[in-house]
Amino acid sequence: MANLQFKALRKSFGESEILHGIDLEIQDGEFIVFVGPSGCGKSTLLRCIAGLEEITSGELFIGGKPMNDVPPAKRGIAMVFQSYALYPHMTVAENMAFGLKLAGHSKPEVAAAVQRAAEILQIESLLDRRPKALSGGQRQRVAIGRAIVRKPGVFLFDEPLSNLDAGLRVQMRVELARLHKDLATTMVYVTHDQVEAMTLANRIVVINQGRIEQVGAPLELYHQPANRFVASFIGSPKMNFLPCHLVSATETGARVRLEDGTVLAAGADARGLAEGTALTLGIRPERLLAETAAGEGTAKTSVIVAEHLGDTVFLYVQSPGGTGQLTVKAQPENPLRTGDETHLRFPAKHCLLFGPDEKTLPRLL
Amino acid sequence: MAIVIDKSQRWRGFAAHLFLIALCVLVMFPLLMVISISLRPGNFATGKLIPETISLEHWRFALGIPSLGPDGQMIKPDLPVLLWLWNSVKVATISATVALFLSTTAAYAFARMKFVGKKAALMGLMLMQMFPTVLALVAIHAIFSRIGHVFPIFGVDSHWALVLAYSGGIALHIWTIKGFYETIPAEIEEAATVDGATPWQAFWRVLLPMSLPILMVIFLLAFIGAIIEYPQASILLRSQDKLTMAAGMKQFLYAQKYLWGDFAAAAILSGLPISIVFILAQRWMISGLTSGANKG
Repeated sequence: MANLQFKALRKSFGESEILHGIDLEIQDGEFIVFVGPSGCGKSTLLRCIAGLEEITSGELFIGGKPMNDVPPAKRGIAMVFQSYALYPHMTVAENMAFGLKLAGHSKPEVAAAVQRAAEILQIESLLDRRPKALSGGQRQRVAIGRAIVRKPGVFLFDEPLSNLDAGLRVQMRVELARLHKDLATTMVYVTHDQVEAMTLANRIVVINQGRIEQVGAPLELYHQPANRFVASFIGSPKMNFLPCHLVSATETGARVRLEDGTVLAAGADARGLAEGTALTLGIRPERLLAETAAGEGTAKTSVIVAEHLGDTVFLYVQSPGGTGQLTVKAQPENPLRTGDETHLRFPAKHCLLFGPDEKTLPRLL
Repeated sequence: MAIVIDKSQRWRGFAAHLFLIALCVLVMFPLLMVISISLRPGNFATGKLIPETISLEHWRFALGIPSLGPDGQMIKPDLPVLLWLWNSVKVATISATVALFLSTTAAYAFARMKFVGKKAALMGLMLMQMFPTVLALVAIHAIFSRIGHVFPIFGVDSHWALVLAYSGGIALHIWTIKGFYETIPAEIEEAATVDGATPWQAFWRVLLPMSLPILMVIFLLAFIGAIIEYPQASILLRSQDKLTMAAGMKQFLYAQKYLWGDFAAAAILSGLPISIVFILAQRWMISGLTSGANKG
C-alpha cells in the first residue's frame, strides 16, 4: 500500500530529453493507467518508478519517501513486463519464489506465499512446469503471480496484455480488474490501447511527447478532453475533426462556418476570439447524424463506404467541402448505402471547438 | 520431406552426396593413417594404410609398459608419456576453468554495463588477438622469468605459469560470450533486479544458467586450445617431468631419428581427454534454454 508522487520529474538519454517535467500524484489503492502513442515516454516513466532507469532531475516519492536513489528491490514495487521475462530455467513455483528466497524468507513461508498466489491466479496445477511448457496466457499469469507473492506497495504493469490474442486479452483484462478489487493495491499500468485504459483505470494519464496532456477519470476524458490530442486519442472509432472558421460567439454558444459554407451552432464559449479565427470542430462518431433529407444546419456530402456490423452501421462519409473522411456510427435501421448522398447534422450540444492552440474551448451546453 | 523434386535435381543430390563422402574420406584419412602408423612395427611414416603385421610396441612405450629388449632384458620406456598426458589434462582443466570464469564475467560487463572506454577496450581485445602468440614468445619468456623472481610459483618451468599464460588468451571467448548474452533479453535480468537480486545474483542465478550451452562451448575450446598448444609450453616448461603432451612429444622427433610410431601412439593418447570432455560437455550443449522466457 503506497501512494506515489512525481515532482518535476525529468529523464534524458544523453542529449535527448524523453520526459519533460512530470508532476503527478497517485493515491493509495488507485488504478492508474498511463496511455499514449508509442515513444511518448510512458514506459520510461514506469521504468523510472521501478528504478530501472535513473531519474535525471526532479523527485519521486513512493509511500511518502524519496526514492530517487533507492535500488529497485527496496522500493516496495513489483513489475510485470510486456515480454513476461520469466526465468526459463526455473519452474513456475521457483519463478514465483525467487524474490522471496533472495529476501531470505524461510522455506515454509515461501511455499505458502507461492501457494496463495497460485490459488488467486488459478495456476496451482502448473507449479512444477517450466515456462516453456506454458501458453501465452498462462505465462502472463505466472508473471503476475511473481509480482503478487512479494506483496508490493505498488504494482507496475508494462503493456502486459499486448502479446495476447484478442479473446485472451479481454479475459485477462477482467481478471486484472478483479485482482485490483481483491488486493486493493496501487497499480500503475502502461498501455497504448485506449480500450484497456478506459475499462481498467480509476484515472487515466494521457501522455504525449514526454508531457502529461490530461489526467482524469475515463469518462471525464471522453466527454471533456482538454485538447485535441486527448480528444483524438480517447475513444474508438476516433473523434471526427473538421476545420472551420468562427462566425459569431455569444454567451449561449458559437456559430462556425465549415469549409463548404455550412454555418452551424456549437455549444462552446468562443468569446474573446476574433471573427474568422480558424478553429477545429470535433464531434464523436456516435453523435454525428447522417440523414437522408436536408434540413436546417445540415451539410451535404456522400457516403464512401457503409459497413453493416449487425448492431451498428459505420458510415464513412466525405468531409463536407474537404478532402478528409468522417465516421458516423449509426443505428442499424439507417437506410444509407455506399455511394448514397447524405446530409450530416451536428447537434450543437455535442460539438467541441478547439482553438488555434488546440485547446478545447469551454463548453456551454 | 514430401516436397516434390524435379528429376533434374536428382543428379545434383547424387553429386552432392559424392562430394560429401569424398570430403569425409579426406578428413578421416590422416586419423586412420596415424592409427595405422602407431600399430606398425618400426618407425616408418610411409606404408600401407592397413598394416600387414600388428605390433603393440609403440603403445607399450606410450603407456609406459616395460617391453623385452633385444638383449633379453625388460626395458622401461625412457619418456614419461602418461605423466605428460596428466600434466596436459591438469593445465588444460585449470586454465579452461579460469578462462571461463574470466571471460563470462568480462563479457557480462561488455554486454550489459555502461562504462567509459567500453568500445575501445573491445576493439583493443580484438586487435591484440590478431597477433599470433609466437610473435610474443620472447616477451612471454621474459615476463615469466621476471615474475618467477617474485612469485616462484608462477616462474618458468611451473605449470602455474602455463595456466596463467593460457588464461590470458580469452579475447575471442569474450566476444563470443558477449554475442550470446546479447541475444538474451535484458528484461529477464531486470525482472530479477526488481525481485531483489544484486547485479551479481542476476548474473549468477539468472543469466549464467541460461548461457550454459555457450559456456560449455567456450570451456571446450579453451580446453582443446590448452591441450594442443605447443609454442608457449615449449618455452615455459623445461624439466622432462613437467612437460605437457604437446611439448613432450617433440622429443620423439630427434634430428637423427624420427620415432614416428611412438609419436603416433602418443598423438592418439592426447586426443583422448579432448574426446572425453567433448562427450561430457555435449549434454549441456542444447539449444532452447531461453525459450519460454518471453511470449515465444
